[in-house]
Amino acid sequence: MQSATHLSTKPFKAGNRGTNPWLRALLVMALLYLFLVGITALSSTLKSMGASEAEGMIQAIRNPFAALSVGILATVLVQSSSVTTSLIVAAAFQTAQTGVDLEDAIEPFIPMVMGANIGTTVTCTLAALGHVTRDVEFERAFGGATMHDFFNLITVAILLPVELATGFLRSSAVWLVQTLQLGDGMKFDSPVKNAVKEGYKAIEFLVKDVLGISGTFLHGTMIAVGIGLIFLCLVFITKNMRSLMATRFERIMNRTLQKSGVVGMLIGMLITAAVQSSSITTSILIPMFGAGLLSHANGLPIMLGANMGTTITALLAAVATGPAGLAIAFVHLIFNLTGILILYPIERVRMIPIRLSEGLARATVASKWWLLLFMGGTFVGIPLLGIILFG
Amino acid sequence: MFSWFKSITPSASDGLGKMTSEFGHMLDAGRHCFDVAANALLGGTDPEVIRKDLFSTDQSINEAEQNIRRHLVVHVSVHGAASLPACLVLMTVVKDAERIGDYAKNVFDLTPRASAISTASAAHSDLVELKDEVSAALAKTRKAFDSQSEDEARALVRQMNAMEDRCDQRIEEILAGEAEHSAPATLVLAYRYFKRVVSHAMNITTSIFMPLDKIDYFDEKPRPDIT
Repeated sequence: MQSATHLSTKPFKAGNRGTNPWLRALLVMALLYLFLVGITALSSTLKSMGASEAEGMIQAIRNPFAALSVGILATVLVQSSSVTTSLIVAAAFQTAQTGVDLEDAIEPFIPMVMGANIGTTVTCTLAALGHVTRDVEFERAFGGATMHDFFNLITVAILLPVELATGFLRSSAVWLVQTLQLGDGMKFDSPVKNAVKEGYKAIEFLVKDVLGISGTFLHGTMIAVGIGLIFLCLVFITKNMRSLMATRFERIMNRTLQKSGVVGMLIGMLITAAVQSSSITTSILIPMFGAGLLSHANGLPIMLGANMGTTITALLAAVATGPAGLAIAFVHLIFNLTGILILYPIERVRMIPIRLSEGLARATVASKWWLLLFMGGTFVGIPLLGIILFG
Repeated sequence: MFSWFKSITPSASDGLGKMTSEFGHMLDAGRHCFDVAANALLGGTDPEVIRKDLFSTDQSINEAEQNIRRHLVVHVSVHGAASLPACLVLMTVVKDAERIGDYAKNVFDLTPRASAISTASAAHSDLVELKDEVSAALAKTRKAFDSQSEDEARALVRQMNAMEDRCDQRIEEILAGEAEHSAPATLVLAYRYFKRVVSHAMNITTSIFMPLDKIDYFDEKPRPDIT
């Protein structure tokens, strides 16, 4: 019996998208608030742990290659650079409380931020694996996905040595904080910060007084609550913002497909800033690469815009911390901006990550061992080795 | 603020709504192509007068097909699998809409031999009558697809089935030589092309109520639910 229920007629009717957008918007606001509470819980707990614990944590990532590796692995594990950079912001804030100079406070975390940039591309590379059964489609999709990997790897390969030699990123970020006087501005009693503090106090009351947790367990519990809140809130913010903005994204993407350059970059930045996840933006592009609708040259600026847009999360997290948190958020921003300024404007240079990714895609189609070698090496093997050797 | 918020709420001008609307324009254009081509064949319209209109309209149909396909990939990439069945249906029927334009051009290609079909013949009258029915069916296809009305679609499929049977019957009669015709090959091709136009319109109509995997195959088995 052929039933009409096999194919709902509803998909063809516009306006049938479930949850009310206003409710979603309110939910996102609430999640944003809880995200800031999570950052405060984490940074305040780290602050209360004292200088010796802070020094221990810093020692573990004192080697830049170990820090880079930690950044990659942590981001690969949570599949979100937003989570990693938010945690880094909270940790940098705590380090600054030990009385060290602002530049010194953020220095050990800079390679971690770079690692987060590399690690975050794993999601869209994994998304490209969905096309693996069709060679031509896979070559286009995998080439598009790894273009982002190569761009970020090259940027780190250039800027990490430069940073280690000159301190360019940390001094620029600190200069920016001081010039804009944002560090001092963070100290004033803003209603948002007060509201976030109240939320943090409520959680502390719950853990300490209601559950009766104290001593070392209290620190551990508060850190877990902080990280949990940051992770869950970012997951649900992303999910809800994606639903809320999907229609607009679709419209924008339809207009962007044949465009390249600054327009694509702006689009990538706006979409990522809205959903707080560069992985969402870049993963959306993968089926379009696979279907041949989007060329790699036109997709690259959207991905670079996503790199820029994802820095908004660390800047948001910095709202709940102080100058050090803000400085590390600026490092993330300046790092991505510098990478674009170095690699994008000149066409021959811009084509390097594209050529490399297309070459890898061709090789991977010929032999799937390249897939294992690239993904296993970039996202697991080399970072693990970095931690073992330098950590 | 409110205008911004309004812009992120779904409307008929976005996503699937926009693609469905563009598909509707494809159907209108297909009907226009069929009308002008059939009029050139049977109504004596100078083919050169309508040639440009026909070919540019068909070109717009082809462009719309590509546009819809592109937008479907973007839609699924952004929204995920929630509206996948509707997207797959649209991906399927958009080809049928494009084929209607192609068969209209095939009808037009017969116009150099149009003079061979006597306007006084029964076959000419029958084709004119059939042309009007096919054109009306194309308009109803658009209406049924817009409304997604299962009842309308089922009623239309019954009508189109009858039209197909009629075309087959006429072709059979001509091939069997049951009557004298001044241009039998032209007539057979005309009936064949009319039938193909109806078939593609029927594919589109059945997509409203048939399971996705059965679209295009509805005529291969007895259908107890369509009587």
